[in-house]
Amino acid sequence: MRYAFLVAWREYAENAKTKGFWLGIFVMPLILFLSIQVPVWLEQKATPIRYYVLVDQSGSLAPIVEARLESLHQQKVLEALNDYARKYSRPPAFVGAASHLGEFSEANPLSAAAFMSKGGKRYFLEQLKPQLKENAPDFQEPRRLFQPVHLPTAISAEAPLATLAQELKPYFRGEKQLEANGQQVLLSAAILIPRDLENLIIRPRPPSSHREADPAPRLNTENIQATNHPLAASKPGLGGPPGPTHQIQYWSANASDSRLRDEIEHAINAEIRQREYLARGLDSAAIHEVERTFILFASLNPKKAAGKETVSQTDTIRQWLPSAFVYLLWLAIFVVIQMLLNNTIEEKSNRIIEVLLSSVTPGELMMGKLFGIAAIGLTMVGAWVAALFGILSWKSGGASEIAGNLLSVVQGSSLVPLFAVYFFFGYLMYAAFILSIGSVCNTIKEAQSYMSLLTVIMMVPLLTMTFIPKDPNGPLARLLSWIPIYTPFTMMNRAAADPPMIDLIGTLFLLLVVTATALWMAGKIFRIGILRTGQPPRLVEMLRWATRKDA
Amino acid sequence: MKSDPANIANGATLELRDVTKFYGQFKAVDGLSFSLQSGSICGFLGPNGAGKTTTIRMILEIIKPSSGAVTVLGHCSALQVRHRLGYLPEEKGLYKKMKAWAIIAYFASLKGLDRKTARKRAYELLERYGLKDFADKPTDALSKGMGQKVQVLASIAHDPELVILDEPFSGLDPVNQQVMEEIIRDMAKRHRTVLFSTHVMQHAERLCDRILLIAGGRKIFDGTIPEARSLLPRRVRIETEDDITPLRQLSDVASISCVEKSDASANINGTHCWDLELRESADAHAILQTCFAQRIRLRSFSQSDPTLHEVFVSLVGAQAREVTIR
Repeated sequence: MRYAFLVAWREYAENAKTKGFWLGIFVMPLILFLSIQVPVWLEQKATPIRYYVLVDQSGSLAPIVEARLESLHQQKVLEALNDYARKYSRPPAFVGAASHLGEFSEANPLSAAAFMSKGGKRYFLEQLKPQLKENAPDFQEPRRLFQPVHLPTAISAEAPLATLAQELKPYFRGEKQLEANGQQVLLSAAILIPRDLENLIIRPRPPSSHREADPAPRLNTENIQATNHPLAASKPGLGGPPGPTHQIQYWSANASDSRLRDEIEHAINAEIRQREYLARGLDSAAIHEVERTFILFASLNPKKAAGKETVSQTDTIRQWLPSAFVYLLWLAIFVVIQMLLNNTIEEKSNRIIEVLLSSVTPGELMMGKLFGIAAIGLTMVGAWVAALFGILSWKSGGASEIAGNLLSVVQGSSLVPLFAVYFFFGYLMYAAFILSIGSVCNTIKEAQSYMSLLTVIMMVPLLTMTFIPKDPNGPLARLLSWIPIYTPFTMMNRAAADPPMIDLIGTLFLLLVVTATALWMAGKIFRIGILRTGQPPRLVEMLRWATRKDA
Repeated sequence: MKSDPANIANGATLELRDVTKFYGQFKAVDGLSFSLQSGSICGFLGPNGAGKTTTIRMILEIIKPSSGAVTVLGHCSALQVRHRLGYLPEEKGLYKKMKAWAIIAYFASLKGLDRKTARKRAYELLERYGLKDFADKPTDALSKGMGQKVQVLASIAHDPELVILDEPFSGLDPVNQQVMEEIIRDMAKRHRTVLFSTHVMQHAERLCDRILLIAGGRKIFDGTIPEARSLLPRRVRIETEDDITPLRQLSDVASISCVEKSDASANINGTHCWDLELRESADAHAILQTCFAQRIRLRSFSQSDPTLHEVFVSLVGAQAREVTIR
């Protein structure tokens, strides 16, 4: 055992010095960190400000559009304030439902309206001030993503829409620039609202004439789009789509970012409907109230304790987190067995193996390699899990609420210990295949054909990874659980679904038996193959070695 | 742990008895028997494919013989005494990213030295054999010869009682070959037993107390260097322009053959070179006296024993019979 330990220690120490090991240690936490941080960062810093021109010849819709965009911005401000409060208030849960800022904790239009009506940012910060930590920095308001700019003086707002559009095109193309806040900026969008709104409104026809209300096609003019809403597609009583001059025109050279268009369209149509209610003598306030009426819809899970059956975000995380662990498990096993393969082939091709075998038995050598590389794998996975906890703990105290839920699920479940068990046995079983392959191949190239086969076999858990959580105790999940090469991945994936005890114990027992058998057979192949030179044997021949009594 | 007290008492460090190894139908080693006395240097010779490496692997129990018995340091299993054995394989290799001292220390620790002693010993050896400056370099930064020296040092760092070196001189320049010879002599001085295989007969002639020659898996010769030389007749070489017919009549001369000279000056004065093979009891002085008596004018006269190289070629090349002196 002492010799196996010495071999294991060398494997560990030497692999721990390689760049691949340290890359493996840092890349996964980095990916995790970036996947949480980058979207936030992109939203805060990298999203460009869109400058738009609003020409409202009708004279009645511009304030509606501006109010809508202001409300949107205030929602962002409220979100940022909530994050700021979570991070810098004492206690951190200050903004919880119990506090008088609790009504703003959800960043939706209703709380944004309440927030704005009470004074917005200034009110929030005043309320928060007594609870702020001493070292809290000043609050940084998010940038306005959509900023209005004035129409250039050379262009008349009263000109026909077609003329306006034509005169604005150089600003879209970058040939000319607009001035905003003392800077030259590129025009992102222009919203042109015609004078006669009444002619633009499309009202539903009697059922018999519905077929004529087809959406109008979008028009492209030198990459600049004039987009028409279906409701603005045709005039009442007229067949076929009208020209763009009979619609509200949204001009933009960027077709992929439709947020501004959607917001404005939503605001204008809401206003148009309000006017319709009034025109038809309906009580718009009552309708507004009716529109805000809803029934709460609860998702409940019968497997949860009485009184706690409601499905929360934490439950969703609990259902899907095992999939993340499956991916981690797959990646860990794949990376570690690659190390084992490279290492075995290096010793064989360098003929170091012969010196080793004069000092240790093949069994000791194999054990040493297996456990040395396993220790490398466990260190790597341990670092990943530690980083996972670290990053989640850090982020859960601040900007990311989901990180807090993730942390509570990871801490409150058996996912981590199960991961350790399945990693260990999964690794040992796949390592048995790898040692057999490595012992008969002189170069990595020779090992490729065997490895391609193993990689194909190992793809199955990845392909079924997202399906199994949807039906964790279904026939496919149960079938794959009882195939030992897939047991670690499938059972890991089913971990949140309380699989039957027979599946849990039975598959683990089968996995143990198969792993032990695979290692025993690998030992025989290793002993014969490791000193062999020339072409690698066929699989059938390797199987013959493994089952030979005298081997 | 089984041991054979008879062997230890006889001073036999290593003994093979009727060892045979089959690879499938192919008989790589065929009934090989020999023993090595403690403190001796033995050259293990044989043409390519003779079965040397297979024999060495069986001695070290890297592979098992199909039949026969191997006794190493009084034990029937080399694994039982692995910490008292040193081995340098024919095909040399090192872990590329490991430092020179670390490799030596690692193999020494696999042979039973504790890590601290192994490290100290590694630095000592590297200093003694001129590699001090490379001790902390990874082995892929060393030249082939240096790497080979590191591997030799790794095989002896634990001061083994029996060292088996498979082709230790291959790939070394003349200076490093001398260093290698020095290492082998150093071990013998400390009463360590060395078995080494080589294709360079001069090394065997210079170093060995005895040689073991095998071919086709079978033992061809096992004995001392003088015994090996005595397998071939002694030889006298003369150069003359005269007729040598009188020498052919001598009973001491077994045969005469003309030596073809390869250089441009050959036979420039009409002279010829002749090799006279002498019978076992023959006296070279009698040949010289006959030359004078028969007025054969000699340009040169030299007497020489056969070289090991000639013995090797003669025994192996002619599909020699097994010859056992002793």
